[in-house]
Amino acid sequence: MWKKEDGKSQGVPENAAGISTGSPAAAGSPARESSTGLPVSSRASACLSQGIRIKGEVTGSEDLFIDGHFEGKVNLSNGSLTVGPNGEVKADIFAREVIVRGRVDGKIVGREKIQLWSTGNVAGDLQTERLVIEDGAVLRGRVEIETGKPIDKHAEARGAAAGTSKGGVVSVNSGSAAD
Amino acid sequence: MSFLNKLGIGVGAGAGAGSNREVPRAIGGTGRPRTNSSPPVGAVGATRAPELRESNRVSNGLKEFLWNLDGLGRGALLDLGPAWQTTLSFFIERGFRVSSEDILRAWKEFLVEEEGKLREAAGRAAQHNLDVTPAARAARFLEANLQYPNSSFDAVLLWDLLDYLEPLVSKQIVANLTDLLRPGGVVFAMFHSKKPEGFQRYRVVDSTTLQVISSPVLCPAQRVYQNREIQDLFGRYRTMKSFVGRDQLRESLFIK
Repeated sequence: MWKKEDGKSQGVPENAAGISTGSPAAAGSPARESSTGLPVSSRASACLSQGIRIKGEVTGSEDLFIDGHFEGKVNLSNGSLTVGPNGEVKADIFAREVIVRGRVDGKIVGREKIQLWSTGNVAGDLQTERLVIEDGAVLRGRVEIETGKPIDKHAEARGAAAGTSKGGVVSVNSGSAAD
Repeated sequence: MSFLNKLGIGVGAGAGAGSNREVPRAIGGTGRPRTNSSPPVGAVGATRAPELRESNRVSNGLKEFLWNLDGLGRGALLDLGPAWQTTLSFFIERGFRVSSEDILRAWKEFLVEEEGKLREAAGRAAQHNLDVTPAARAARFLEANLQYPNSSFDAVLLWDLLDYLEPLVSKQIVANLTDLLRPGGVVFAMFHSKKPEGFQRYRVVDSTTLQVISSPVLCPAQRVYQNREIQDLFGRYRTMKSFVGRDQLRESLFIK
């Protein structure tokens, strides 16, 4: 017959509310696996896992991983928030760092950094010092980068290297000239 | 056959913009970029889109667009294409406040949603009260998209999306954009001179170069606009300038 597994599955919180508080040792352990086979979080000390719905306000200074549904407000003054690939968050988010791999509907303030992964989908404004957007991520909102650095107007665009031109422009027609 | 299928957009057809895993450096950051050789840990085991073909094209339209925006200071830009890191970086580094809204993706999602409503009504054998005329559909789509205060942008990157939208939606979008633009504001649009064989998206590489990314078809091309039709579409703009490339792609600038 089937061999029964231990009652506790990996990455599933222990209490009914779906928010588990890990020990410092657990927080430093390697990434756990979610039911989708994706690592849940390598550092998050609290986790709202898939299938859990919560409405309300979360405040704290630790890291938080949300892979379920959350509606309300998230304020992690010194922590980071990771929205997992199954996560759906309808909330204004304030955190030191925000990583989005699921859906977020609301304003995100990531004091140091915001990362949108390829599966990330954000409808709301972003405000941060550093922003990373992976190809495939969906963003619908305004981006505000807060940095004290002067703007380098002549900086070359980063990321993609310019190669040989394929579509050479050959003629100008129609309408009056812009000048 | 549903209207969605008539348009060539079946539920589940296409895979969106996909991803080619290149993650550029953070905007405003100094961190080391992630590259293909070191994918994010979380990507292990994740479904990956096929590699997308990319090529660069010289863009006089972009050059002219930037020339028109020169000296604007902290201008506001609306990018109606996908949120590419390189494009956002390019404009943010030049002091723009950038808003991003991928209209084609929104249009596809809207059509899928409408299809779902019709199916649901059919399943209940009930008569739906959804007005499926193009005009009504355009109105419904724009109730949920392009919602910004009037005169809030100095520039709009429209790319080639008008070729892929229903003509009535295109017309309404251009009208809305005219309201969203400040006087003197600039629209950068592209039009295919013949029906495009594939589906492409664009991102800014530098001030004279665009990267053309062949992507899975998000929406099939709806029509090819002739020069006169383009002029009619943008009739409320005081200036229009076009550049036609060898690749049958017309880049156009419209100044309000």
